[in-house]
Amino acid sequence: MLKLLVCIKQVPDVDQMTIDPETGKINRIGVPSILNPLDANAVAAALNVKETYGGEITLITMGPPSAEAVLRECLAVGADHAILVTDRAFGNADTLATSYAIVSAAKQIDHYDLIFCGKETIDGATGQMGAQLAERFDAAQITSACLIHTVDEANGTLVVERELENSTETLEVAMPCLLTMEKTHYPARMPSLKGKMAAKKKVITTMTSADIPDLDCDRIGDSGSPTKVPRTFPPVMPEPGIVIDEGSVTASVAKLLTFIAE
Amino acid sequence: MDKTNYKHMWVYVEHDGTVIHPVSLELCCEVRKLCDQSGDKLIAVIAGEIPNTEVDKIRDCGVDGIIDVSGTGYERYNTEAYTNLFAELCVKYKPSAVFVGGTTNGRDFAPRFAARIETGCTSDATEVVYNPETTDIEFIEPASGGKIMAVITIPTLRPQVGTIRPGTFKYIPTGRKAVIEEVREAIDFPLEEIRTKLLSHEQAAYDPEMDIANAEVIICVGDGLSDERALSRYRELAKMLGGKIACTRPLYDREILSYKLQVGQSGVMIKPKLYIGFGISGAVNHVAGVDAEKFIAVNKDPDAPIFHYSDYSIVGDMDEVCDAMIEALKAKAV
Ligand SMILES: Cc1cc2nc3c(=O)[nH]c(=O)nc-3n(C[C@H](O)[C@H](O)[C@H](O)COP(=O)(O)OP(=O)(O)OC[C@H]3O[C@@H](n4cnc5c(N)ncnc54)[C@H](O)[C@@H]3O)c2cc1C
Ligand SMILES: Cc1cc2nc3c(=O)[nH]c(=O)nc-3n(C[C@H](O)[C@H](O)[C@H](O)COP(=O)(O)OP(=O)(O)OC[C@H]3O[C@@H](n4cnc5c(N)ncnc54)[C@H](O)[C@@H]3O)c2cc1C
Repeated sequence: MLKLLVCIKQVPDVDQMTIDPETGKINRIGVPSILNPLDANAVAAALNVKETYGGEITLITMGPPSAEAVLRECLAVGADHAILVTDRAFGNADTLATSYAIVSAAKQIDHYDLIFCGKETIDGATGQMGAQLAERFDAAQITSACLIHTVDEANGTLVVERELENSTETLEVAMPCLLTMEKTHYPARMPSLKGKMAAKKKVITTMTSADIPDLDCDRIGDSGSPTKVPRTFPPVMPEPGIVIDEGSVTASVAKLLTFIAE
Repeated sequence: MDKTNYKHMWVYVEHDGTVIHPVSLELCCEVRKLCDQSGDKLIAVIAGEIPNTEVDKIRDCGVDGIIDVSGTGYERYNTEAYTNLFAELCVKYKPSAVFVGGTTNGRDFAPRFAARIETGCTSDATEVVYNPETTDIEFIEPASGGKIMAVITIPTLRPQVGTIRPGTFKYIPTGRKAVIEEVREAIDFPLEEIRTKLLSHEQAAYDPEMDIANAEVIICVGDGLSDERALSRYRELAKMLGGKIACTRPLYDREILSYKLQVGQSGVMIKPKLYIGFGISGAVNHVAGVDAEKFIAVNKDPDAPIFHYSDYSIVGDMDEVCDAMIEALKAKAV
């Protein structure tokens, strides 16, 4: 049976974040948390594989205890199991430390044939996690995958379409393989009422650093993260340009066109 | 780790066997400036066959050295050979920084080799600055939806790895150095360890409408757009001005336009002569991608941040202004 793992992340709805005009700091209070949009497409891709070839889907997320919400959301559309990797010690991590923690945790639970990620998140948006998770799983990787043609479990291969800047390539790749998904062919699934009810009852496996025997504590969290954010500053906004107001739209547009023609 | 043991900044030269990707040239030009400040050498790393006339373009960017890698495994891009190559070269030469163009393939292997050698990786910086006090590179990028700028550094480990989007920096070659140290490396990657097999490669038919990076006139529509039907007038305006349609991220999210038309930090960088933005608020993530000679904005909100970036603007309803522009241009034509 195919073992499928989907990595999902809970992210703040960045469009709703505001800046404190006095401190210049980001105000996160009251900003709702959501499932990273592309991760819904990754879940849909895994469900497609499961529906066509059979298999079992496990979700994994690393985040605060409240990240349970996104796990339930994806259990409701048909994932089978869920792992919540949560511990203060994991916090403040960059992609290097995050990928190490997630893979260390996942390896405690099982071995996976196919691993799905979103192409990138809307908050950190580095798009680095897929490749770094694949490295630590010692898996092949197809980044920017847009379509899974076939999965051949007996041969341990699959055929995937990958989108490049001006072309697409079709690749046969060996499992285990990690895919970072584009959204094109895998629209997000909507949960049924029954799915939602079932998801509420599912047991979520919670893992802390203590649950991972050989974990190297120097490689997790802030201390395990080589990238730092020493400071932030408000974007420098240039002085506003000329606002054209000639009394009517027609007149303003006429003036604008003379500027364009200059 | 003693950072002083790690010297020189590298640029990975991406190519398709015939031409060098412009992002590699842009990076050489920008990293040249960093090296002038840090005292490091600028080294270009090339793998696989490429005509010497193309390598000349790299030489003209003021590189101090070239590492020219030959061997098996580099004919077609694949994650395994390129990850291994950079992991091996970094261990051998100990560079202070490695810059990789943020193309689909560059973003594929750069984070992976960084993880293999356990160092930090950053992506999509819109500015890079050398800090002489810390000797670190500051990768600067918009964060939190563009509301703040974040400075990202890799203060204790080397090399500092960064992927940078095409078009972020300008290609202004500073000229050839009198001495360029060219080193040959032979690193064979076992073909059987490549885990992907290319079955087919389909070149998308060249669609000029999608080539916004090189367009001279851009009509950019934002989330102020009411619906897909309203788009036709902007297409008409674009046609009349000899320009192309582009958009902000919400229009891609709303599935009205392709992500290939998304302008900004995580999309395409544009450098048109004329940019007209309709119904765009002016998030840094978006405007970071616009380098226009004439910048015009239309927005109904007089306080929209985009007015800070525009040379000329009109406060008003986008559709009305667009219609009026079309009428005026038609009137002129007759
Ligand atoms: C403004 C900002 C800038 C940053 N810059 C850097 C940087 O330059 N370098 C760096 O190393 N770190 C950086 N970080 C930290 C980084 O965002 C976090 O490490 C984060 O946990 C994962 O990275 P991402 O959100 O960029 O993921 P991406 O690489 O964009 O995510 C791709 C996919 O990986 C999976 N995934 C990501 N996070 C998780 C998770 N926690 N649990 C399960 N699956 C997950 C999802 O499938 C997701 O769709 C930055 C953070 C912020 C807020
Ligand atoms: C990591 C990261 C990377 C990102 N990368 C990009 C990127 O590459 N490109 C990008 O575009 N965005 C990017 N974004 C998103 C970006 O932060 C903004 O959310 C986005 O640019 C906003 O698009 P907008 O201005 O069209 O929409 P909004 O901010 O919603 O603005 C719509 C504007 O339209 C005006 N309007 C509404 N109706 C009318 C009307 N009838 N007439 C006139 N004006 C009207 C409103 O006043 C408003 O100012 C990124 C975000 C993150 C977090």
